[in-house]
Order: sequence, then structure tokens, then C-alpha cells
Amino acid sequence: MTRGPHAPDPGKTIEEMLDDLAADPGPGPSADLMARVLADAQTHLPAPGGAVAAAPWWRQMVQGIGGWGAVGGLMAATVTGFVVGLGALDSTGADLVWTLGYDDYYDAELGLDAFGWALEEG
Amino acid sequence: MQFAETMTMPLDARPDVDDAALLARYARGDAAAARALTIRLVPRAQAQAFRMLGDATEAEDVVQEAMLRLWRIAPEWREGEAQVSTWLYRVVSNLCTDRLRKRPRSGMALEDVAEPEDPSPGAEARLQETARHAALRAAISDLPERQRMALTLRHFEGASNPEIAAALGVSVEAVESLTARAKRALAQALKGRVAALGYEG
Repeated sequence: MTRGPHAPDPGKTIEEMLDDLAADPGPGPSADLMARVLADAQTHLPAPGGAVAAAPWWRQMVQGIGGWGAVGGLMAATVTGFVVGLGALDSTGADLVWTLGYDDYYDAELGLDAFGWALEEG
Repeated sequence: MQFAETMTMPLDARPDVDDAALLARYARGDAAAARALTIRLVPRAQAQAFRMLGDATEAEDVVQEAMLRLWRIAPEWREGEAQVSTWLYRVVSNLCTDRLRKRPRSGMALEDVAEPEDPSPGAEARLQETARHAALRAAISDLPERQRMALTLRHFEGASNPEIAAALGVSVEAVESLTARAKRALAQALKGRVAALGYEG
């Protein structure tokens, strides 16, 4: 390992090392590797004419329903139904708070909280 | 006449059918496209992996894994977003880096390598070559991804700066900066060891 008379150029040495490594051709792919790669390709080969992607469950569900358009329609219908239902409930005169079981609100309004019940029960 | 000749060529040798088109055919269930892609891509990927790992068996495992990822992603591949060869190069590079980082760092320096059974000068030279390649591979694996990609594309694949810029999605000036920084990092990592590895320094 001789040292040159001048200061070493690290960049040049690195270039030389990289060229050395690049010149190492290495063995080509074996027939076994080609066979393994082709076997994998065959295993994952999509059905003819259509891509069979391993889609996540939510995407499969969306596709099953009929796509994002159908999902949007379904959501709109759900919201509409809910609103119509609330309107119908209102027209019957039923107390919405009572019907939906807002216990805390109801109890507080009457002053019948857990402490009150405990007092009454002795 | 020329058109007829082209049409009878094997798929992998047809210049008018690029890798992305072959992948799209594979995604539509064309097994011949898989054969063509394998013939086109595997030898290059194997050379890349071997250069980075220095072990043929490990390199083959990496190539198989990278190609498996390609088959899996095929149905979702969007043409025009990236070149198949660049995508594969990046996957192979990252898989090799993962393996190199998990390796124990023994065997990089000459003093850590066992004495050769054959003490002839040729054997010693081979041993030294193995040691310096291992040291360089380890230093390359420690580079940030973009520096590593730019450096290896330039030196191992012979890619030009504009080609590397296109592959990495950066400017030519950025490529020059990446390769310069990569070389400085390598010089720093191997500082004080170049002479022991058989280089004048």
C-alpha cells in the first residue's frame, strides 16, 4: 500500500473503488430463479380479461354495493329517511326527549336524580 | 415486411412493447407477458442485487421477492406514473439495503477475515478484493436512499444525469449534488481504511 507523493484525493479513490465493484459482473440468474419467478407470476396471474386486485375489504364492499355513486345515493337515502322519520314522530306529539330516552335530562328536570331516589328509598 | 417480422418476435424482444405495456397485459391475465417481463427484468435485477450483496443466493432471494411485489402490484399499476424498471430498481435497492443493515459488520476489514487456506498471492488478492467490496457495499447501504440510488444508477448502471433525474423526479443539478454528497459520505465512511483495502490513499 504505497502512498503517493501528493495528498490523496478521496474522491478519486472512491471513484476507483466504485469502478472496481461495477466491473465485477457476478453470476447471472440461475434457471432455478427464473422458474421460481415464473411460478410466482403464475400464482398471482389475474383472471383473463380482468384485473383481480387484492382489494381491501372496504373497497370490495363499495364495489359490491355498486361503486361510490351508489354509496352516495345510499347515504342520501338514509339521511332523508331519518329526517322524514323525525318529522313523522314530531307530528304524533310524542316527546322526542322522552322517546329517545334522554334519562339524564329528564331526571334532572324533575329533580329525580340518583340521590333523590336514594333519599326516598330511605 | 418489417412489421410482420416484429410481430413474430418473442414478446420480450419486441421494442414496440414496453415494460408497462407488458405489465398491463399480465394484469389482464396474459401469462406470456409474465415470461417476457421475467426475461427482460430478472438478469438486470440479479446483477444489481449481487453487486450490492456480494452473495448470489441472497441476491436471487431478493430478486424473487422484488418480482413477487411486481406481480402483486400489476393490477393497480398506472401507466405513466413510473417506469417499471426504475420501480424495480428501487425495490431491489431497498431490499438489499435492509439485508445489509441486518448483517453483522464482521468481515469488512482485512484483519477480520480468516487467513486463506491457499496462501498464494492470488488468493490474498482475492481476499483483499472481497474485503474492499464488502466495505464499500456496507458504506453504500448506509447512504440515504436518494443518494444511494443516484450513485448506483450512475456508477453501476451507467445512467446519465438526465436519466437519473427523470428516474428520481429531481433536477439534473440535484442529481449532481446527490452523487457528490454520496461520494463524500463514502470517503468519510472509509476514511483511514482505503490503504488497508489495497488502494493508494
